[in-house]
Amino acid sequence: MSGRVIVITSGKGGVGKTTASANIGTALAKAGNKVVMIDTDLGLRNLDLLLGLENRIVYTIVDVVEERCKLKQALVKDKKNPNLCLLAAAQTRDKSAVTEEQLKDICEKLKKDYDFILVDCPAGIEQGFQNAVAGATEAIVVTTPEMSAVRDADRIIGLLEAKEEIESYRLLLNRVRPNLIKSRDMMSVEDVVEILSADLIGIIPEDTGIITSTNKGEPIVNDEKSLAGRAYMNVARRIMGEEVDFMNLEEETSMVAKVKKFFKGLMGKEK
Amino acid sequence: MKDNIFAELYNKLLGFFRQAEEEESAKDVACNRLRVVLMQDRTNLTPQLLEKMRGELVELLSKYLEMDKDALELNLDQEGEQMALMLSIPVIRAKDEAEIEKALAEEEAKKLAETNAEEDEAAEEAESEAEAEEEDLNAEEDAAEAEADVDSEDETPTEVKKFPNKEICGDCRECEFSDDIECEKKNPTQKSK
Repeated sequence: MSGRVIVITSGKGGVGKTTASANIGTALAKAGNKVVMIDTDLGLRNLDLLLGLENRIVYTIVDVVEERCKLKQALVKDKKNPNLCLLAAAQTRDKSAVTEEQLKDICEKLKKDYDFILVDCPAGIEQGFQNAVAGATEAIVVTTPEMSAVRDADRIIGLLEAKEEIESYRLLLNRVRPNLIKSRDMMSVEDVVEILSADLIGIIPEDTGIITSTNKGEPIVNDEKSLAGRAYMNVARRIMGEEVDFMNLEEETSMVAKVKKFFKGLMGKEK
Repeated sequence: MKDNIFAELYNKLLGFFRQAEEEESAKDVACNRLRVVLMQDRTNLTPQLLEKMRGELVELLSKYLEMDKDALELNLDQEGEQMALMLSIPVIRAKDEAEIEKALAEEEAKKLAETNAEEDEAAEEAESEAEAEEEDLNAEEDAAEAEADVDSEDETPTEVKKFPNKEICGDCRECEFSDDIECEKKNPTQKSK
């Protein structure tokens, strides 16, 4: 088996890299793939929290690199899905604790046993980014329809293009708000795609469910009713090579809004 | 008193709608600002350098074409690994041969005068420099000429879409090739929104 190594990166912090990693990884595993996620944000690890695995981590990537344990020992299995596991970042060390070569090496080893290796990249374009990208051949660039996020995504795309190992990259547009796009207050999906001239892999609507799912440590893809969850499931299917149409968010959100309003109305009456 | 309030309200409302109509939407502002900033990011060109480049391009091209200098648009587009400089200028009219030759001759004379002036100070250096400059210029001119040829073939503004209201009027002297467009001066109401 030779797995695909995909780095999830963005340049700007807070656009949803880790959330995207957790959800895409979970979705790929749900679809029957063997998936391992690597958190490379040394010193600021969070992927374990989003997956609800924070209490199960014994060894981290630094322990593997410094040979305190075997690679397999450091992989933490997901609670629900045995196909999914996590290689956590060390919380007590900084970015220099792992080198590009070491990460490449880990990816090569994991490739043999897994279909997908998802690398969650730290924010920024310094060594942490260089490390995360080192072992990957594909990239997902997460951005939001905001100026600063788009600008940083453009920088990242420039850096990715300069890397020979990266064969392809695609754009994940996160936190899209159809209402604001409709009122012409927010850049549309088309605007961002045109400005960055990159292919899209997914459009994720802004969803308050993300907050609750993070709080519970359970990726939102597990909630099949949620719009963002379904969008992430579609991303996973596209990664697997399926052709999936992009959701019409404007329609979906207005429907959801109507249903919610309806139920809220009912609740109000009962009281 | 009541009338006043209503009149005020009416005006405010009217003003509000007018504003909404005229004002660029936040998204358009964002897009435009981003395009400019990304162009700078991608090339290390500062706004000053861009302005200089723009000026020089206008100067160069206006030897061959009469164009709307203020509407010149410079954009850098990135497609894959290739970066392309997109230049769009509404061409008012292609100059005829005599005019082009005149412009070129003028430039030549200017250059000659310059070199003559410099000769007194450092004769040899100036000459070799001028030669090098001339070569560069010739190369640039060739490129520009080639582009001008392409443009003048269809004899329409280079990018009609972007300047739908800035075409030349159908009634003035240059308009033999854009007679389907109405004259702006004749119909001032048709001016850009």
